[in-house]
Amino acid sequence: MDSKWSRRTGSLLLLLVSNLLLCKSTASLPICPSGAVNCQVSLRDLFDRAVILSHHIHKLSSEMFNEFDKRYTQGRGFITKAINSCHTSSLSTPEDKEQAQQIHHEDLLNMVLRVLPSWNDPLYHLVTEVRGMQEAPDAILSKAIEIEEQNRRLLEGMEKIVGQVHPGIKENEIYSVWSGLPSLQMADEDARLFAFYNLLHCLRRDSHKIDNYLKLLKCRIIYDSNC
Amino acid sequence: MEENTKYALHMNPEGQSPPGKPFIFKCRSPEKETFTCWWRPGADGGLPTNYTLTYHKEGETITHECPDYKTGGPNSCYFSKKHTSIWTIYIITVNATNQMGSSVSDPRYVDVTYIVEPDPPVNLTLEVKHPEDRKPYLWVKWLPPTLVDVRSGWLTLQYEIRLKPEKAAEWETHFAGQQTQFKILSLYPGQKYLVQVRCKPDHGFWSVWSPESSIQIPNDFTMKDITVWIFVAVLSTIICLIMVWAVALKGYSMVTCIFPPVPGPKIKGFDTHLLEKGKSEELLSAFGCQDFPPTADCEDLLVEFLEVDDSEDQQLMPAHSKEHSGPGMKPTDLDPDNDSGRGSCDSPSLLSEKCEEPQANPSTFHTPEVIEQPEKPKANVTHTWDPQTISLVGKMPYLSVNGSKSSTWPLLQPGQHNTNSPYHNIADMCKLATSLDKIDKDALQSSKTTEAAGEEKATKQREVESSHSKAEQDTGWLLPKEKPPFISPKPLDYVEIHKVNKDGALSLLLKQKENGDQTGKAGTPETSKEYAKVSRVMDNNILVLVQDPGAQNVALFEESTKEAPPSPSQNQAEKDLSSFSTAPSDCRLQQGGLDYLDPACFMHSLH
Repeated sequence: MDSKWSRRTGSLLLLLVSNLLLCKSTASLPICPSGAVNCQVSLRDLFDRAVILSHHIHKLSSEMFNEFDKRYTQGRGFITKAINSCHTSSLSTPEDKEQAQQIHHEDLLNMVLRVLPSWNDPLYHLVTEVRGMQEAPDAILSKAIEIEEQNRRLLEGMEKIVGQVHPGIKENEIYSVWSGLPSLQMADEDARLFAFYNLLHCLRRDSHKIDNYLKLLKCRIIYDSNC
Repeated sequence: MEENTKYALHMNPEGQSPPGKPFIFKCRSPEKETFTCWWRPGADGGLPTNYTLTYHKEGETITHECPDYKTGGPNSCYFSKKHTSIWTIYIITVNATNQMGSSVSDPRYVDVTYIVEPDPPVNLTLEVKHPEDRKPYLWVKWLPPTLVDVRSGWLTLQYEIRLKPEKAAEWETHFAGQQTQFKILSLYPGQKYLVQVRCKPDHGFWSVWSPESSIQIPNDFTMKDITVWIFVAVLSTIICLIMVWAVALKGYSMVTCIFPPVPGPKIKGFDTHLLEKGKSEELLSAFGCQDFPPTADCEDLLVEFLEVDDSEDQQLMPAHSKEHSGPGMKPTDLDPDNDSGRGSCDSPSLLSEKCEEPQANPSTFHTPEVIEQPEKPKANVTHTWDPQTISLVGKMPYLSVNGSKSSTWPLLQPGQHNTNSPYHNIADMCKLATSLDKIDKDALQSSKTTEAAGEEKATKQREVESSHSKAEQDTGWLLPKEKPPFISPKPLDYVEIHKVNKDGALSLLLKQKENGDQTGKAGTPETSKEYAKVSRVMDNNILVLVQDPGAQNVALFEESTKEAPPSPSQNQAEKDLSSFSTAPSDCRLQQGGLDYLDPACFMHSLH
């Protein structure tokens, strides 16, 4: 009896301690008004985490695209048709480094916050449709699932960052609407494959964009352009 | 293909033809801000060919021409920053034109985002550092390629270095992450090392290796270190030699010192082989039976024992030694209770003890037994044949025979001390042992409480006694003194076992003389009355022996109880020998076991 009780107390203590530690780590990410000195550290952690996420998302997207292309659409010239077919191309985003550096970091953040939610819907359907594919490729499906989850987390992190960097901003409701779902569900196999190809192609590109923007922002905000 | 064929068909008489189709084989961006494309020209068709590169971007309809054909070298097109858009697909084609015609390459779809391959890092510097109290290490430093913008975060680079000794074949590669310096700790002193470094953008391709940098690692071993090691080596060699020499010289003794031979179990004088063969005579002789028990010592001891016994009042109370409390569990220890009478030599334990160390009060050993025995009725009889007595040492079965309660060995009466009692003749005992060897020992063990066993035991007892009588002229039975009341001033007569017949029947003789000296054991059976026949049994516990010179009957001995007999038996001693009767309380016929006729009873009845 006594040993059981002592074991329970021990585990309880362990739980408490771990909670304290966790709380301490999360306590480093409170939303604090911009300009506050002690918030810089937490912003660094936020950016570091965001960059890690965006980097990971793009890496997965790139691998997913390459696997899909190698397996289904190699040599079929789908790229020729995937010109100017991304649903987020309407969002005006900087196209090179000079443009990106000229944009104010708040605007850049807003752009990120426009691109990211635009992908919530497509990612969700991507997972559903890949699951329903005949001979659903496990590698592609697992990556799609993970990308969807990480994208959601990244969005939350970005909202926190915006809350710190640019508090009081209006809730950003601009995002691109994706209407490619019917294409993903086409009966025509070629058309369907192209729809997937196009979706993955656009995902790869946009994830790279977001990753690049965040790295720029991180170096600019946290390290004062001296990474 | 068709175009080639078409043009080939259109070769003019000089062998000139339109140019072949060029092929754009590579496009590369070193910093994700510019990029260059290279093409491979086709067959030139014998005429000077002009190449033009045209492109258009995704989302645009305008076709552009290559802005720079020079920077990238021949057959290249360099897109400067102004003309480079990221996250945009370029559709690039090359036109080959000559006098006869032109050809267009296949369009190449290029997205600058995915063609980033930086230049190798620059300013690779090597330095050997010697920190105090630590091993020296190689410090490698470099700078990112000049074109790459890492500071703004436009590109994030990761580095990798590799090194090898100059003559080595394999490179040793290390991943350095995003840092621009690295420490190498595992170095071979005195070697010349070659080092290279390369980098990779976060989502691009590895650069080529930088040019080799070399450095000479200084020799780390000082003379002092070498001297120390040499000294240690020589010392250990000397020690090894010494040890080997010592082992060689005293090899065996050392081995025995470390692993002493374990002696096997051994009984002195005891030959296990003889035991296996079953030749107990030899076995016993191996013990030195003629000396067993050591005659000189033992006899003296026995004599002493006897003397003490005689001198002491027979009212010696039993010394409740531990031996009496329980039967001796040691095979060498006969049940002290079984050791009746005074014959100390009866008990092998006693014998051994006596022979080794004279016991102080052997009388106390025996007398109490005698006294105690009446308290243990039949149960004691079994002690007689305690199987433990039939052991190796108990190869003297005659000793077990002595286990009878009371009257196995008659006690010496005061005044009738007979030092020459054959019972105390060790030699006789040995002979008894040998003779009894032939007796069925199993019968000894198994038959404990059966009357038949009793008979056998009685037989054995008789044999024992007869052998004694044979061996010695003097076969005076010592009457057992059961209790003090038994002690009477009047002399007692002995019932002498005259002889043991062939079938084991004992014949009793009443001793005429007090001293019991009688010579010619076998010579006077006719003259003396021989009581060997049981006429009747009285009172269920009294045997009546009759004279039977020729009879050879098995006579059951009466085993007297240990009760305090009433006094009056003395008068009966005068009676005819033909019938004995003792006070019933005195003698009881014991069923089973070794029944001995208590001469005391006879005497009482006789006198």
